[in-house]
Amino acid sequence: MARFLSPNVLLGIAPIALVIALWQGLVSFGFAPAVLLPPPGFVLSRLLQQLASWTFQQEIAATLIRLFAGFAIAVVLGVSIGIAAAASPTINAVVRPIVRVLAPLPKVALYPALLLLLGFGHGSKITLVTADALFPILLSTYYGASTVEQKLIWSAMAAGTPRYEILFKVVLPAAMPSILTGCRIGLVISCIVVFLAEMITSTDGLGHALVTAARTFQAVDMFVPLITIALLGLILNALLGALRSYLLRGFPEA
Amino acid sequence: MTAVPARSSERVRPVTSREPASAIIEIDRVSQVFQTSARKDHIALSDISLTIEEGAFVSILGPSGCGKSTLLYIVGGFVSPTSGAARMKGQAITGPGPDRGPVFQEFALFPWKTVLGNVMYGPRQQGVRSTEAEAQSRALIEMVGLKGYENFYPKELSGGMKQRVALARTLAYHPEVLLMDEPFGALDAHTRTRLQNDLLNIWERDRKTVLFVTHSVDEAVFLSDKVVMMSKSPGRIREVIDIDLPRPRRRSELLLDPRYQKYVVDIERMFDESDEAGFAL
Repeated sequence: MARFLSPNVLLGIAPIALVIALWQGLVSFGFAPAVLLPPPGFVLSRLLQQLASWTFQQEIAATLIRLFAGFAIAVVLGVSIGIAAAASPTINAVVRPIVRVLAPLPKVALYPALLLLLGFGHGSKITLVTADALFPILLSTYYGASTVEQKLIWSAMAAGTPRYEILFKVVLPAAMPSILTGCRIGLVISCIVVFLAEMITSTDGLGHALVTAARTFQAVDMFVPLITIALLGLILNALLGALRSYLLRGFPEA
Repeated sequence: MTAVPARSSERVRPVTSREPASAIIEIDRVSQVFQTSARKDHIALSDISLTIEEGAFVSILGPSGCGKSTLLYIVGGFVSPTSGAARMKGQAITGPGPDRGPVFQEFALFPWKTVLGNVMYGPRQQGVRSTEAEAQSRALIEMVGLKGYENFYPKELSGGMKQRVALARTLAYHPEVLLMDEPFGALDAHTRTRLQNDLLNIWERDRKTVLFVTHSVDEAVFLSDKVVMMSKSPGRIREVIDIDLPRPRRRSELLLDPRYQKYVVDIERMFDESDEAGFAL
C-alpha cells in the first residue's frame, strides 16, 4: 500500500491537481462562462452519473471493442512481421520499402476510404486503429529482434535448438523489452485514433458522444467522454505496465 | 566446492585405448578472411593446422586480434572458415552441435530464465524429461557452488556466479568438448583465481576435452596440458608448448614450482620478442 503513496506518485498527482485547479479558477474568476466551461465538480458528478447509465456504458463498450480489436491485430501483425523481417533478409527486402512508404503517412487520411469500403460500424475504426498502431510495434520489434546478442543464439544452437525454433525460443523472448516498448506507444496511439475516428464519423462510441454533445451545446456532456477516454488510457497503460514488469522480471532494465 | 579425491600425480591420463591419444578435433589448414568494407581484406587466421587429443586441456594463447576466438568459433561451428576445414572425430564440422559446448566471456545467459531454467535448457532440448532434467540441473548447480540460487535471475548474480551458471548450463547437455572463450576475462582477479581452481576441480572428475582461449600466460600454463601460442596479423600458430606439470594442480604449490615459473617466463619472453620484431617492421 505504501508503494502507491510514494513521493513519486504524489509528485505525479500534483500537476493533475494543478490543471483541475486552473480549470476551476477559470470558471470561478469569470474568465469563461460556466455554461460553456462547466466547473470540474459538475463534470465529475455528471461522469459518475453517466458511468451508471446503460446508454453511456454502451458507448464505452463500443470504443473499447474497437480499441482492443485494433490494438490486438496490430500487435499480432507488428510482432510477426517485425520478427520475420529481422530473421530473413528476403522478407526484410520486401517489407522495408513498404514500411518506409506507409509509416510516415497520416493514417487518418485513409479513414474516408475505409468508411466507404467497410461502412460506419466497427470495421472501419478497427482497421484505422490497426493501421496507426502497427508501425511503432513493427519497428520496435524489428529493432529488438535484429539486435539480439549473437552469443545467446549460439548458446541455444549449441544446446541442440534447431534454427526455426531459435525464433521462438531465443529471438522472441530476447526482443521482448523492445516489443513491449512498441506496444506501449501503440496503445497510446490506439486510444487517440479510436476517439478521433469516432469523432469524425460514427453512430456510437465516446468520440461520437462528445461530438453530439458539442453540436447541441451540452458542455458538461462534452467533457464527460473526454475524461472517460483519459481514464481508460490511464488504466490500460497501468495494466500494460504490470504485464511488462511481469514478463520482463528477469531483464536488467525492467 | 567439495574437495576432489586426489588422483595419482600422473601427468596425463594414461591412454589404454587401442589408439594412442586419439585425436578428437582436427583443424586442417584453416584460414579466415574478413572483408573490411573500404580497405583490403583482413586475414584473421592464416593456414592453421592443429590436432587436439581427447581428454586434453588445450589453451590457445595470444594477443587480442590474433584470431584465437575466431578459431574457437570455427570449431564450435558458429563461423565457417574461408578455406580449410575443422573436424570433430573425423566428421567435418558444419554447424553447432551439443557435442561441443561453448562458454563465452559475456556469459550469454538467457535473461528471461532463472538459474535453474538456464541450466535445464540444454537437457530439455535434448528431450530429457522435465523431472529428470530438473534433478540433473539441480545437481550441477550444486556442483558449481550455487546451491540456493536456483530461482534467481541472472541479473541478480555477480559476474563470477553468472559464469558458474554458464558453465553448468553447458555441462548439462554433456558436450564431449568444452569451448571456453576467455571465460574469466570479464572477472576481477580474485574471482578469476577461484574460478580457475574450481574449473580444474570439475575438469579432474571426467577430463573432458577443453579448448580454452585466453590472453593470460599465467592462466594458460596453470590450466593446460598444452599451450598453443598465436601471433597476430595474420593469425598464425607460433609455437605449441607441452606443459609438463603434475596434476592435480594446486595454485599455492604451483606458484612456487620453478618449472611452472620457467614456462611462464619462457612464454612471456617469446611474446616480447615477437612484439619487438613487430616494432622493427
